[in-house]
Amino acid sequence: MRRRNFLLGTTSGLAVVANADHVFARALAQPVRSAVEGPLPGLPGGADRCLVLINLSGGNDGLNCVVPHGNDRYYQLRPALAIDRHDVLAIDANVGLNPGMQSVKALYDKGMVAIVQGVGYPDPDHSHFRSTEIWQTAAPDRYEHTGWLGRYFDQAGPARENLFKGVAVSKVLPEALVSEHTDIPAVPGLGEYVMMADRNLAARGAFSREATDSHLPFASPYLAHVMEIEANAQRSSEELPKLVAGYKTQASYPATGLGRSLALAAQIVGSNLGTKVIYVEHGSFDTHVSQKMTQNTLLMQFSNAVGAFYDDLAAHGNERRVLTLTFSEFGRRIEENGSHGTDHGEASPLFLIGGGVKGGLYGTLPDLSATNMGNVRYTTDFRSIYATVIERWLGRPSAALLRGSFTPLPVLG
Amino acid sequence: MAAQQTLVDVGGIVRPAGQLDLATALQPHPGRLGERSAAHLLRRAGFGGTPDQVRRYAAMTAGDAVASLLTVPPVSSITPPQELEDFGRPVSMATDPLQRSMLGQEMTARREKAREGLDAIVALQLWWLNRMLTTPAPLQEKMTLYFHGHFTSRATPMYPWITYNQNALFRRYALGNLRDLALEVSKDAAMLLYLNGAQSVAAHPNENYARELMELFTLGVDNYSEEDVRESARAWTGWSVDRRTDTVTFDAAQHDSGGKTFLGRTGNFSGDDIIGMIFAQPQCARFFAASLLNLFLYNDPEPQLVDHVAALLRRHDFELTPILGAILASNLFYSPRAYRALVKSPVEFVVGTYAALGLQTIDPFAIAALTQMGQRLFFPPNVAGWPGAKNWLTSGTMIARQNFLTRLLNSQTLADSSWLQGLPVASRAAARRLAQTILQGDAAPEALFELEGYLSGTGAAALAPLSVENYDQRVRGAAYLAMATPAYQLN
Repeated sequence: MRRRNFLLGTTSGLAVVANADHVFARALAQPVRSAVEGPLPGLPGGADRCLVLINLSGGNDGLNCVVPHGNDRYYQLRPALAIDRHDVLAIDANVGLNPGMQSVKALYDKGMVAIVQGVGYPDPDHSHFRSTEIWQTAAPDRYEHTGWLGRYFDQAGPARENLFKGVAVSKVLPEALVSEHTDIPAVPGLGEYVMMADRNLAARGAFSREATDSHLPFASPYLAHVMEIEANAQRSSEELPKLVAGYKTQASYPATGLGRSLALAAQIVGSNLGTKVIYVEHGSFDTHVSQKMTQNTLLMQFSNAVGAFYDDLAAHGNERRVLTLTFSEFGRRIEENGSHGTDHGEASPLFLIGGGVKGGLYGTLPDLSATNMGNVRYTTDFRSIYATVIERWLGRPSAALLRGSFTPLPVLG
Repeated sequence: MAAQQTLVDVGGIVRPAGQLDLATALQPHPGRLGERSAAHLLRRAGFGGTPDQVRRYAAMTAGDAVASLLTVPPVSSITPPQELEDFGRPVSMATDPLQRSMLGQEMTARREKAREGLDAIVALQLWWLNRMLTTPAPLQEKMTLYFHGHFTSRATPMYPWITYNQNALFRRYALGNLRDLALEVSKDAAMLLYLNGAQSVAAHPNENYARELMELFTLGVDNYSEEDVRESARAWTGWSVDRRTDTVTFDAAQHDSGGKTFLGRTGNFSGDDIIGMIFAQPQCARFFAASLLNLFLYNDPEPQLVDHVAALLRRHDFELTPILGAILASNLFYSPRAYRALVKSPVEFVVGTYAALGLQTIDPFAIAALTQMGQRLFFPPNVAGWPGAKNWLTSGTMIARQNFLTRLLNSQTLADSSWLQGLPVASRAAARRLAQTILQGDAAPEALFELEGYLSGTGAAALAPLSVENYDQRVRGAAYLAMATPAYQLN
């Protein structure tokens, strides 16, 4: 309470719209020290590590992404959609990457990419909405109003002074970052995370003077919370552009939404704001109709943006500080539909990318036999990947956050 | 407290400080309301009053004011927005057979088009917001919004009429009987689509609706068994939706008419029986009592208060009118513990701002603003509805709230705010009038002083003195400042 009074100087609230002084700008962005537990051998300390989560929204078709080109049944079930064997970026005799994913293949060849096949969860839900929610809240069997990373921030201790401990590069805060106690900014872009200052209103420049402490003529259990959030909103929107202004981008990002999002992510990482999690989105992969062109383009955009991202990170010596994890709410049916597309399915592969990753293939090859109503059955629970990230990368116990014990995969370190 | 939290799932709930005096809490509040209590009542029972409405209610007693709010016009006079008519009515609404057949083909094409856009749903959002602002019966719309977040369904853009019909159902029962509504909503097309009732047949009962009916809609977790879920799911089989006509169907051949055991009783139960047995549980009344107290009074109400209102609900057989009347006219409702004790929802924030400014029409940009604030009507985040309370407020949603104010206060729309345009030119009087009309005086003395300084140009920012030339801009800026205070975020 004392700190808030000091920063705001008032409980009248008017100072919230005042010209803030910038003495405390750096204090806003101190590393999250309390989250540091057991740096991994050979990797940067916990405080320097950042998780970048990429949501491939809409349901990415796993079979045309990590292509089972050694499986004849794949070609039988997808006469129009299958990726030609000659076009596949082969990893081994069984699988290879979509031809658009050359940059990711190059990172794979450098040992920086782990591919986990067959990731999903029990009793899969085929609704975009519900399955997205399941991945974001890590709760297939119940409703949680906090996300798995929101719970991480809630339990990571007293790091509330840092306004940028997590950043969602999105218009609306994704459920994964919704928490009980931690304010995470949703920043669509530097130019959009601003309080509109209108020349005609002239209001924000009008109150530079700190009012003295006073009492409002009412009490509310939420008053302190409102004031804290107002102060956060005001200060974080003012300070973020300044805090990242010194960073020089050293890669040529594609002119796509994901390219812009990852360029901002690299800028935030390189500006050392103590940011532990950055969330970005890419899509839509909901390819019921004419899938091939759409998905190939989306995967190429994904691959090119990720390639530029790691070029940029490497140019600043940051590539081992950043672990990138992809997810998608579900894979798609094994068999193509009548519209040259695929319908909602179940398990799909995901990618872990970064200098700290032990590259290679994990999980099991998808079983394309007709045993599961035309779907790829899950063989790795996504929560064991989350457990890997929480324990081995973010350095926290995972059972309480995931409401259960899941065995981490040996993909890091 | 832990037990209480299982009753209603609101995120970050906070109970106000102070002690509950149960003996007097629900006694009728005596005397005339005055402006502060009138504004409080209009914020809670509606979306905030216009300055005129606040003045009118200020002269009433709590009893008369609440009686006025409980008087709602028949819903039959309400018509849907033109965009929905343009989308085309489902064939079931046409009576002539030839017309029905033609409409059937046309509808297929239109629905294909609707996959691409949300035009009809957006029109419905704007239509509803305008109803909230201009209705003579704000409590009716408040309860409609409450039911939307309680008996949640998500809009399917291809079927906007199904969403409209559910909205109309909630409005019809806004001051009706909770048990009757629970029964109707169980057979509502939007609900059957959203929670998979439409696919639930005797051979493969889908448990989704049966589970949420008890977990989120009527009892709360730990008040039923998994077997109760399975048996209830069997009782609801056979109900479905004809997606060509938007109509609800019942297929007796798909209904499991066999014996079931539910909440300790055995019989060939139907869905109607299930609702009856759920509402016979004392926990059901407690569940709704807690939910309504969270909506109208304060979060995390004391268990003994919940029990008291639950007993009232049972005595009145789940009729809402007497219960809402008792809460809204009570001593506790007008006590400092309840005052500004809730966080404004985005809808309350937006509609209330138009009302406070005395404006008559919601601008279309409010739709996108509401999404950024975290409340997109007809698209609740999940089946548990909007968690609300503390969860409404993050840096991002706060920026969205402030930017909405900036945009509205700088827009042409504001020329229609007659009281703001008629503010006294004397800056002290103008500051007091602003603080009174927008904040009911809930501003610190320093804030008043700063407001006055801003208006007069004598404040720290060294503005030009107030004059005819800068009057309009200065008044807009002052209104923004008043609305940027913490009190304005609280309900």
